[in-house]
Amino acid sequence: MISQRSLSLGLPTSFKEQYLGTVGYLAIFFFSIAAVMLTPAQRLPWAAVVCLLAAALVYPQAFRSLMRLRWLVMIGLMALPPLFLIGDLDRSLAGIPYSSEGLLSGMQIALRVLVVLVAIQGMTSSVDISSVAGLLERAGMHGLGFSVGVALNLLPGLLQSAQNAWRSLWMRGGLRKQRLRGLRLLAVTIIAGALSRAEEIALAAEARAFLPECARSMPIKIGKLDWAILAVSLPGLLAFVFIPV
Amino acid sequence: MKLSTRELATLAVFGALWGLVEISLGALLKTLNIPLSGVVLAAIGLTIALVGRAFVPRRGSTLFIGVIATLLKLFSLGGVILGPMVGILTEALVAEIVLSMLGRPRRSGFVLAGALGVAWVLLQPFVTGPLLFGRTVFTVWLDLLDRGNQLLGLDPSAAIWIVAALLAIHLAIGAVVGWLSWDIARLLQVRLGRPVTSTNIL
Repeated sequence: MISQRSLSLGLPTSFKEQYLGTVGYLAIFFFSIAAVMLTPAQRLPWAAVVCLLAAALVYPQAFRSLMRLRWLVMIGLMALPPLFLIGDLDRSLAGIPYSSEGLLSGMQIALRVLVVLVAIQGMTSSVDISSVAGLLERAGMHGLGFSVGVALNLLPGLLQSAQNAWRSLWMRGGLRKQRLRGLRLLAVTIIAGALSRAEEIALAAEARAFLPECARSMPIKIGKLDWAILAVSLPGLLAFVFIPV
Repeated sequence: MKLSTRELATLAVFGALWGLVEISLGALLKTLNIPLSGVVLAAIGLTIALVGRAFVPRRGSTLFIGVIATLLKLFSLGGVILGPMVGILTEALVAEIVLSMLGRPRRSGFVLAGALGVAWVLLQPFVTGPLLFGRTVFTVWLDLLDRGNQLLGLDPSAAIWIVAALLAIHLAIGAVVGWLSWDIARLLQVRLGRPVTSTNIL
């Protein structure tokens, strides 16, 4: 019987868990973005193929989540206009004239959008927010890990309190007259509530002798191949950008 | 930049608020394809960031709020759109640069930061379009004129007028954002009974 597992593409999960960590995933992400941004047009298809192959190996699920109508429409909307706007309308398809130069340009745009979307989708599904915060902390944004943790903790409560405040204002007719004043009061109510919650969190952290300057940075998952991927991606990027085929 | 625990928690609140607006309202506005949705989101986001700056009047605090909001947007479900993330970061960066250059928080600084932050929404496609998606500046320019034509009813041949009108609208909305942020921050500090010091807003 064919199971979903037997149909899955890409590297096995156990391999990825052991050999790929945050640095590796981020290296692939930045390589993909930089490659499609910097590679000259004539070598772009090669760069895009390499990026998409890497994505298919490391995070094949990114392709599946992009097969949604809104993404396809977005890619189409960005790639189609050059067909009619760039160059002379020297060809036609089913009676609709288009430009061959525009067709090339449209294909390049579609490739870039596809690579960028796959790279972001893949990266966000493979790396967790605390790892990225940990990396940024190590890069000099001290306390970011703590702040991101607090922000994540606050989100559900904030959403609830914002909804409550909005409903209260709406039910009492606060937006019928003096709308600007009503909106200002809404903002004040939501922010005041959130600040009180933040005060409680800060007090709890201080009571446990938490000091941002003494706190350890958020842990980062390191895989065995992370540094190798980083070492390969940098010269690979330079090769795409500078070496003519 | 070394921040205390309270300052970090306060920045987290404002980052979470901006992130929440981008995740919930942002997704809704983009889905409904409402005109000037970018301006609405930038206006709300910058209001939050500027009020945050009034509560933590230290260099880098506005950017810090922007980074938190960007991370929340990046890791939100279905939020894989590069434009808003670049937008949040650059708006925060623009506001940060203006406020850091002007030193002590004051209303004029907030108004200028808000105006330039919202004006970035108009310029962003010219940067992200060619850099990230390979679109030509000409295509982005035509899109801008088309949008101006639809919104203002001006003829596309009056390009200069369309751009000037759009820029004026963005700057005016941003200035109102800065003005309102200052008022909201002052109101909040009074309501919360926060001590009013020379570095604070009153």
